[in-house]
Amino acid sequence: MTARPDAPLKVTGRATYALDNVVEGAAHGYLVLSTVARGELASMDVEAVRAAPGVLAVYTPFEPLPLHPVNSALLGRMWLPLQDKDVRYHGQPIGFVVAETFEQARDAAALADVAYHERPAATSFSDGLTSAVDAQPAASEAPPSLTVLADGVASIEDALEASDVTIDATYETAAQNHAAMEPHSALAVWSGGELTVYAGNQAPHLVASDLASAVDVPVDAVHVENPVVGGAFGGKATSMPALLASAAAVALDRPVKAALTREQVFTATANRPATRQRIALGARRDGGLVAVRHDSWSTTTREIGFVEPTSHGTSREWYTTENLAISQKAVPLDVPPATFMRAPGEAPGSFALESAVDELAEAIGMDPVALRLRNNSTAPPGEDLQWSSKHLDECFEIGAARFGWADRTPGGRRDGDWLVGMGTATAMFPGLRFPATVGVTLHDDGTADVATAGADPGTGLLGVLRIVGAESLDVPQDRVVPRLGDSRLPPGGLSGGSTATASAGSATMVAASTVIEQLVALASSEEGPLRGHDVGYAHGTVYALDAPERDPMTFGDVLRATGRSTLSATGTTAPGEETTKHSFGSWGAQFCEVRVHRLTREVRVSRLLGVFDAGRIINPRTARGQLAGGMIWGVSAALHEGIEFDDDGRMSRRDLADYLLPVNADIPDVDVQFVEHPDTLLSDLGARGLGEIGIVGVAAAVANAVHNATGIRVRRLPIRIEDLLEDG
Amino acid sequence: MRQFDITAPTTIDDAVDGRHTFLAGGTTLVDLMKLDVLTPPRVADINALPLRGIGADEGGHSDNGNAGHGLRIGALERMSDVAEHPDVPPAVRRALTLSASQQLRNMATIGGNLLQRTRCGYFRDTTMPCNKRTPGSGCSALGGNNRGHAVLGTSDHCVATHASDLAVALVALDAEVRLVGSDGARTTPLADFYRTPGDTPEIETGLRDGELTTDVVVPHPERAAHSTYVKVRDRQSYEFALCSVAASLDVRDGVVVDARIAAGGVGTIPWRLPGVEAALRGEPATESAFAAAAEVATHGATPLTHNGFKVPLLRRTLVRALLELAEGSTR
Repeated sequence: MTARPDAPLKVTGRATYALDNVVEGAAHGYLVLSTVARGELASMDVEAVRAAPGVLAVYTPFEPLPLHPVNSALLGRMWLPLQDKDVRYHGQPIGFVVAETFEQARDAAALADVAYHERPAATSFSDGLTSAVDAQPAASEAPPSLTVLADGVASIEDALEASDVTIDATYETAAQNHAAMEPHSALAVWSGGELTVYAGNQAPHLVASDLASAVDVPVDAVHVENPVVGGAFGGKATSMPALLASAAAVALDRPVKAALTREQVFTATANRPATRQRIALGARRDGGLVAVRHDSWSTTTREIGFVEPTSHGTSREWYTTENLAISQKAVPLDVPPATFMRAPGEAPGSFALESAVDELAEAIGMDPVALRLRNNSTAPPGEDLQWSSKHLDECFEIGAARFGWADRTPGGRRDGDWLVGMGTATAMFPGLRFPATVGVTLHDDGTADVATAGADPGTGLLGVLRIVGAESLDVPQDRVVPRLGDSRLPPGGLSGGSTATASAGSATMVAASTVIEQLVALASSEEGPLRGHDVGYAHGTVYALDAPERDPMTFGDVLRATGRSTLSATGTTAPGEETTKHSFGSWGAQFCEVRVHRLTREVRVSRLLGVFDAGRIINPRTARGQLAGGMIWGVSAALHEGIEFDDDGRMSRRDLADYLLPVNADIPDVDVQFVEHPDTLLSDLGARGLGEIGIVGVAAAVANAVHNATGIRVRRLPIRIEDLLEDG
Repeated sequence: MRQFDITAPTTIDDAVDGRHTFLAGGTTLVDLMKLDVLTPPRVADINALPLRGIGADEGGHSDNGNAGHGLRIGALERMSDVAEHPDVPPAVRRALTLSASQQLRNMATIGGNLLQRTRCGYFRDTTMPCNKRTPGSGCSALGGNNRGHAVLGTSDHCVATHASDLAVALVALDAEVRLVGSDGARTTPLADFYRTPGDTPEIETGLRDGELTTDVVVPHPERAAHSTYVKVRDRQSYEFALCSVAASLDVRDGVVVDARIAAGGVGTIPWRLPGVEAALRGEPATESAFAAAAEVATHGATPLTHNGFKVPLLRRTLVRALLELAEGSTR
């Protein structure tokens, strides 16, 4: 097991996050947000703002900061703040005040007098259902609706009707904010025609490109650094502070810092949408699925934008069924925009699907684990591409034994005043790779750098680069220095889609083998210490194959002998032919035990176990941390977290006191286990993604356990005390 | 946060000049100043004042009340120190331990805790109407998100709950608060100190201009010793009560002789339940008798759009607390 290379800095408070950078002469920006949900800005009287002490500039849609169109690689056409007078949601950035100090900027911003032509806002999900429209699920080329029918079956309704047992239920999940510990923030420095931006994000090379477009300078004149990132979870593909600070730094020709306050993070970024899902399952008496119907609604903005792909992310692929029909709709509302968040689609989708499977198990009178294994898929329904390496059955078998699943009884059990229940759920996340380039540099002191632009927002990628680099160069790990968080490094290592390990890891293998070839060639070349010999490489050393009496030389020895300080190579990998031969996914079995007080009905999660099949595990320590963190987030989604809007579109819980996240007292020991079957069909590294799968299925496992304990089926997240009071 | 002047008086006489807002632990005042909810021009840091000590009451600054028969707690004692003091009755200790977080309890004082402001989100957002913050501006909670709001003691002008756990325990145990102002010292039962909102929700207590809380006295140590505090909330720590109950119970031969009960999270002030106490006296200490008496607790409750569940939850929390005391165990 390898410790996090960045852990000592973080636990001693010495890690330099974006805002910790100090640049002489930096000015400070503060955002002004809208206080109505829909309409047009009539006027913004900022005379008092301008006159306030220390104020350097005030930007509004009436006097905008110049920003140029951005077509983001990750987000497509980006909305740019302060460029138009439309108000699309409560809490939208409408102004940016720059002053000598943060306090001056904040106090001045409070003096802005804003008038709106307000229009009625649509903010209710249930009211909006009537205006739902077909919508393309996020990150997918699939059409909104998709149907797979067995020969001779006319419709999904017919298939359901012909089933021995059916269930049909509607589930709802709450909108969520990423709520990363490090709020979105940036320091932008404009000097000599070059823009340097320190900002926590998930891919500095992509953010550099976006910022270059936004401020209209060549991309190679923009340098983005994010050596440490205080959490991202999908929410740091971009940020308002980075855009505004960059543009203001250019406009004012001085460094500008900007950060969102915690309250601003909730609206001036983007959230996970609320979802509604209707699922009908039809099965034979033996549990075999005949029909799966999964219709999904996601809240969106009026421009649609991001659509949470709940049915496409789950029912499309998870179970063998003869007939399948899924659909996706958007419900346009005047609410803050949505974006990717940990397991987009799979997380809320699995709450619905895995609750429905539990309901079906009860209706059939079958054990929920047995029902899932009965319908274990070998390929997505209607597709020929078999799963490359799927061991979900092993996950459930190990998990059931370890958890004592056999002790579960249909009505739960009682322990004093506590009702105790167990629940389970399947977890799945697709096995993906993105193109990645990694550089490996050998140094004459015998150390090696493994470098890619990317980010390690707590995921453990730094350790992965160290481990895979050391293994590929066949040297001890302490001789490998992993480097991330700099747009000038080779492009790769984006933190997103659970792809970084498989992508950057396999590119590291290519880069290492290329640099070893170069080293061997150098050693045997005319200028090399082993000229004239056949040269091999093992255990981090170069040796003469035909002269075993000669001492092996480290790569440092070879470099020094040839008067070089470094030798570098890059390696690039990308998804290829393998995607035409197999389907790829990581799988898992989640188990949960809850205790519900018989009188006051608090739900306490007393045990959590996840058994995961994610290919080869590169670093068990950080893998476990990542999965346990995801499982805890699943408890949060089940019992705590949820954005709520007032009727007028104002978000009513916007700080970490009111927006509930679990605290230590809410979380028991979390047991994470792996079944390790390297998936070398996905990449030579054998690892599949495990960044996001931890959260998947947990909320359903909690809800299923609550049902087992109390007999009450809660189909809306988060589950709260009032859902469990029969007399409430 | 607005600019303000700050002084640090070393005597009570200097502190109670009526011009300053008192700063003790700062966990409420600084929080609300950062939000611009409170914008005091002059702040007095009172941490140097001699308002500490936990022990047998010696009369404090007044000569009435229960001098010599109760436990005195200085207003500047920190929540964490009081929570750990062996002479402090169980209901008070548990109410404190279940409040806020350890870090906040290390800073926050007893006096400040009793005077903390509501957690109503509309009170804390200066862009929203709130009669408590800006009298006459309206109550946003009535038509807004009111899941956390009160069902007892409300008015058309305000439905915000009182946020203190400690106050609930102290009201149940008949505690008194001692005050000193430029006109001298006085003592008042804590239950009478708090004001329901009526049409003046900006007035929350009987505190007079410049007046300072100096001590809290918990009388009847023998009765308070058999007490508990049950807090029900959405997460297990660092969260305010959806509903809480503080109670002391005297059971002899299976029959309730005496009960003292107050509820939190459901009222605009710490909510004493004399009707439930009366209904319990002479009844058997059984779950069904407790449940019957608990019905009285919610007579006259006025639930809002989102908080109707607090009505049954209060009854259930009451039963749970009473069962804990009757069975002599906490669980």
